[in-house]
Amino acid sequence: MTGAEDHHEEDLLMAAEHVLGLLEGEDLAAAERRLEQDPAYRALYAGWAEDLGSLAEGFEPVAPPSRIKGAIDKRLFGARREGLLRRLGLWPALTAAVLAAGTYLVVTDLDLLRFEPEGPALRAEIAAEDRSLVVQVAYDPAEPDMLQVSRPSGDAAPGRSLELWLIAGEAAPVSLGVLPQDREGRLAIPEALRPMLPEAVLAVSDEPEGGSPTGTATGPVLGVGPVTSL
Amino acid sequence: MSRLTEIEAMIGRIALGDRAAFGSLYDATSAKLFGTCLRVLNNRAEAEDALQEIYVKVWHNAGRYQVNGLSPMTWLITIARNHAIDRLRLRRRAEARGGGDMDAVAEMADTAPGPEALALASSEAGRIDRCMTELEPERAAAVRSAYLTGDSYAELAERHGVPLNTMRTWLRRSLMRLKECLTR
Repeated sequence: MTGAEDHHEEDLLMAAEHVLGLLEGEDLAAAERRLEQDPAYRALYAGWAEDLGSLAEGFEPVAPPSRIKGAIDKRLFGARREGLLRRLGLWPALTAAVLAAGTYLVVTDLDLLRFEPEGPALRAEIAAEDRSLVVQVAYDPAEPDMLQVSRPSGDAAPGRSLELWLIAGEAAPVSLGVLPQDREGRLAIPEALRPMLPEAVLAVSDEPEGGSPTGTATGPVLGVGPVTSL
Repeated sequence: MSRLTEIEAMIGRIALGDRAAFGSLYDATSAKLFGTCLRVLNNRAEAEDALQEIYVKVWHNAGRYQVNGLSPMTWLITIARNHAIDRLRLRRRAEARGGGDMDAVAEMADTAPGPEALALASSEAGRIDRCMTELEPERAAAVRSAYLTGDSYAELAERHGVPLNTMRTWLRRSLMRLKECLTR
C-alpha cells in the first residue's frame, strides 16, 4: 500500500469515527476544523453519514403524539400567541382595568413590543362554499396598521353589511370592521390584534347595516378562511 | 428522489423563516425522526422531549443545511441521532453518578438488528444490512452499538469484554470492510 493510500485510509477512518462520535478532545477539535475547511474530508464525512445513517432507515417510523407539534410551535413562536390569547380571553376585564388604571395598558403595550414587531406577509381567503362570496385579505408587515381587502365576488344584501371577524383559538371572535362597499379597500387593524393574525381564522358574517350592534356576530356566517403566510 | 427534493426545498424555505414549510417538513419527517429517537433512547417520554428539541434545532439551523453536503434526510436523521445520543450520554452519566447499575445501562439500547432492519425496508438500508452480515456478528454488533448508543471506545470495550485497544482495532477494521463492501 502506498503512502497516499495509507493517508486516505486514515482520513476515511477518522471520518467514520467522527460520524459515530468516537472522537474526543483534541482529535475531535481537529476533525471539526477539517470539516469546516477541507472539502475532501467533508466528502468522506458526508459519505459515512449517508452510509451509517442508512442504519436508521430500517427503523420503524412512529407517529409522534399530536400534541408534540403544538409544543414545538409554542417553544419557537408561541410565547406571544399564548400570552395574547390569554389576554384576549380577559379582554372585557382588561378594558375595565385599563379604564380603572392606566398602568395596565402600559404593561400590556410593553409586553407586545417585546415580541417581534415584524412578521411574515399574511393572506386569507374567506369564501362561501359555492363561492357566491369571496373575500381576500392581505396583510403586509411593511404597512402594519392596514389590511388590504378585496372582494372578487358577492355583495351585502340591500340594507345589510358584511362584517369581518378575527377568531384566535378558543377566544370569542373580534370584529375587524365592516367590509368596504368597494370591491377593493382597506381596513385598519388595531395593534393589539396584529400578533394574533398568523394563527387566526377570519370569518365574514351578514349583519345589520353598519355592523353588528352587539360586538359579536348576530347574523349568519357566510364564509371562513384561515390566515396563512405567503 | 422527488420527495427528497421536496424536503430540501422545505429546508430552504425554513431557513427564510417560513412556518408553513416548517409544518410541512414536520408532517413529512417527524415519524421517521421519532422512530429514531425511540430506538436510541428506548423511552417514550424522553423521545418526545428529544423530538421537540430536534425540531427546534432544525428551525434554527436550516440555514446551515448546505454546509456538510448531506442529503436532506441524512441531515435530519443525523441531527436526530446525535441529539438522542447526547441525551443518552447525559442519562448514563447521571446513572453512573447515582451509583448506577451497569446491567441496566448495558441493556438500555437493543443493538441487535430489529425485525424492521432485517426486513430490508429500503434499498439503502438493505445495502448496509447486507454488508453488516459480512462482518462477524459480534463486530457488526459493535458498529451498530456505536451508532445507536454513542458508546465511547472504552464503553464498547467494556460491553464486549475486550481490551480497549483490541476494541479500537476491531471497530476500525470492521469500518474499513464495511466501506469496501458498500462501494463494491
